[in-house]
Amino acid sequence: MPERSPSDQLDLAINAHLADAEAPLPPALIVAELLPLVGSLRNLPSPEFKARLRNDLQRRISMNRTASSSTTVKPTRFRRDDFPNIAPSFFVNNAPNFIDFLIAAFDGTERIRVPRPDGSIQYAEVAVGNSVIELADASQEYPQRSMTTHLYVPDADATYGNALAAGAMGVYAPTDEHPSGDRWGEAKDSFGNTWYIATRKGPVPGAEGFLTVQPYLHLSGAHNMIPFVEAAFGAHATGLHKSPGGKVLHATIEMYGATFEIDEAHGELQPTPSYLHVYVPDTDALYAQAISAGAKGVKAPYTAHYGDRAAIIADPFGNTWFLATYIGEAD
Amino acid sequence: MASRRPGGKLSQPASDRSLVEAAQADPSKFEALYELYFELVYLFILGRVHNRATVEDLTSEVFHKALANLSTYECRETPFSAWLFRIASNAIADQFKRASRERRGTEDTLDARADISSVEMEFVERQAMLSQLVEKLPELQGRVIKKRFFEQRSIKEIAQLMGKTEGSVKQLQFRALQTLRQQMEDRDA
Repeated sequence: MPERSPSDQLDLAINAHLADAEAPLPPALIVAELLPLVGSLRNLPSPEFKARLRNDLQRRISMNRTASSSTTVKPTRFRRDDFPNIAPSFFVNNAPNFIDFLIAAFDGTERIRVPRPDGSIQYAEVAVGNSVIELADASQEYPQRSMTTHLYVPDADATYGNALAAGAMGVYAPTDEHPSGDRWGEAKDSFGNTWYIATRKGPVPGAEGFLTVQPYLHLSGAHNMIPFVEAAFGAHATGLHKSPGGKVLHATIEMYGATFEIDEAHGELQPTPSYLHVYVPDTDALYAQAISAGAKGVKAPYTAHYGDRAAIIADPFGNTWFLATYIGEAD
Repeated sequence: MASRRPGGKLSQPASDRSLVEAAQADPSKFEALYELYFELVYLFILGRVHNRATVEDLTSEVFHKALANLSTYECRETPFSAWLFRIASNAIADQFKRASRERRGTEDTLDARADISSVEMEFVERQAMLSQLVEKLPELQGRVIKKRFFEQRSIKEIAQLMGKTEGSVKQLQFRALQTLRQQMEDRDA
C-alpha cells in the first residue's frame, strides 16, 4: 500500500477532529507539528459573524448620529435628570387611589400631581427607587390597560408584603426557586396590573447597570418587535433567548440607556398593550423613523409647555409610545 | 485594522487608551476598538460557554452594551479588556438564568468569572492572533481554511465550490496550515 502524502495524512487527522473534537488527534508524524492548529482553528469566530456584528454596530452608530443631529434639540441632554427609565404610563380608574397604592406598596414618592377641576388626575409622577412611574385617570382617549411591570427592589420579600398590605393580591411570594435565578415574586393590584417583584442575585450589575422599573410586554409575535424597535428607535435587543421554534422567550430591549423587557405571549400571559414614555435624543427624527418602520402616528411632534418636544405613536403591537426630548423650560 | 499587541495581557497600553478616548468623543471610532477586542471577547466567552450560537449572541450583546455605555467607562479605573470581560461575565450569568427559566435544562454550566488568569489570557491572545493571521493568508489558502473550519465543509464540497480537484484543495489546506504555523512561530520569536 503506497504511503499517504502529507496533505492526505493531515486531512485524515482533520476529519477525525471535526468528527469528534474530544477525540485525540491521531499520530501522524509527518504532519504532527501542524495538528495543534486544527483544534485552534475550529474554535475561531467565523468571519461572517464578525462582519455581521460590525455592520450591526455601524448601523446603530449611524442611527444614533442621525437621531442626535437635529438642530431642534440640545444633543447632549435630551432626558430629564430625574427620568432615567422607560416609564410605564398608567391610565387607571381612580388615579388618586393608584398613587396611594404606589406609595404604600413600593415606597413610592409622589413628586408631581396635576389635578383636573373635577378632582381627577390629568398627570402624576411617582418615583420608585431610581425610576419613575407615570399615571393619570383613564379617559375615552386613553382607556385603562392592564400592564405588567418588573421591579428590581432591595428586598423583594418586604416589597411583596407591602404590596399585599396595600391591597394587591399575591400570585406567588418571592422565592429563590424562581428560574430567573433572582429572588422573585408576583402580585396583581386591584387596578388589573401585574407586578414582578424581584431582588437581583448573583453577579452584580456591571457597566450596563439596571433600573428599578422596567415595563414588561407580553407580545403576540414578539420576534417581530425586535426588528421594529431597531428600525424605529435604533434600539437593540440584549439577552435574546429564543425557543427552538424561534419564539422569543425573553429579551431586554435597550434604547438610549433605558430598557424594557418582552416575551412571547402564551397561556395566561396574554398580550398586554401598554403605554410607555421614553426620552429620546430627537423626537422629530424618531417620530419620522418610527412611522417609516411601521408605527402609526397618533400625535405629530409638538413643543409642550413643560419643556419637552413630544409626540405620540402606536406600534404595530398595540402599544402607545409617548416620545419626548427635553429641550428646557421656556425662559 | 488595528493590530493586536503581543503578550498584551490586562495592561492598558497608551494606544488603547487613546482609542477608547477617541471612541468616547466620536462613536464612529468604536470600530477600531471592535477590531482590537472582538476575538478576545469571543474567545473569553467561548472559554465559559460552549454553544457556538450562544457565544455569538453573547459576543453581540457585549459589544452593543459596550457601545451604549462607553461614555461611562473610566480608563483610570480598569483596563478596557477587563471592563469588556465584566460585561461578558454578567451577560453569561443572565444567559444562564434565562436558560434555567426556560426549564429545558442548560447546555452549558455557569461560568461567569470576570477574571482571567495569565495562562488563559495568553491562550486567548494566541487564538486571537491566529484568527487575524487567517485573514492575511493568500486568498485561495484563506478560502479553504474558512470553508473547512468555519463552515466545516468536506474537502469534496470545497473542491466542487472552488472548481478544483480534491487533491489540490488538500494541498492548499496543507500549505495554509504550514503558513499559519510559521507565522505563529515568527510572532512568538
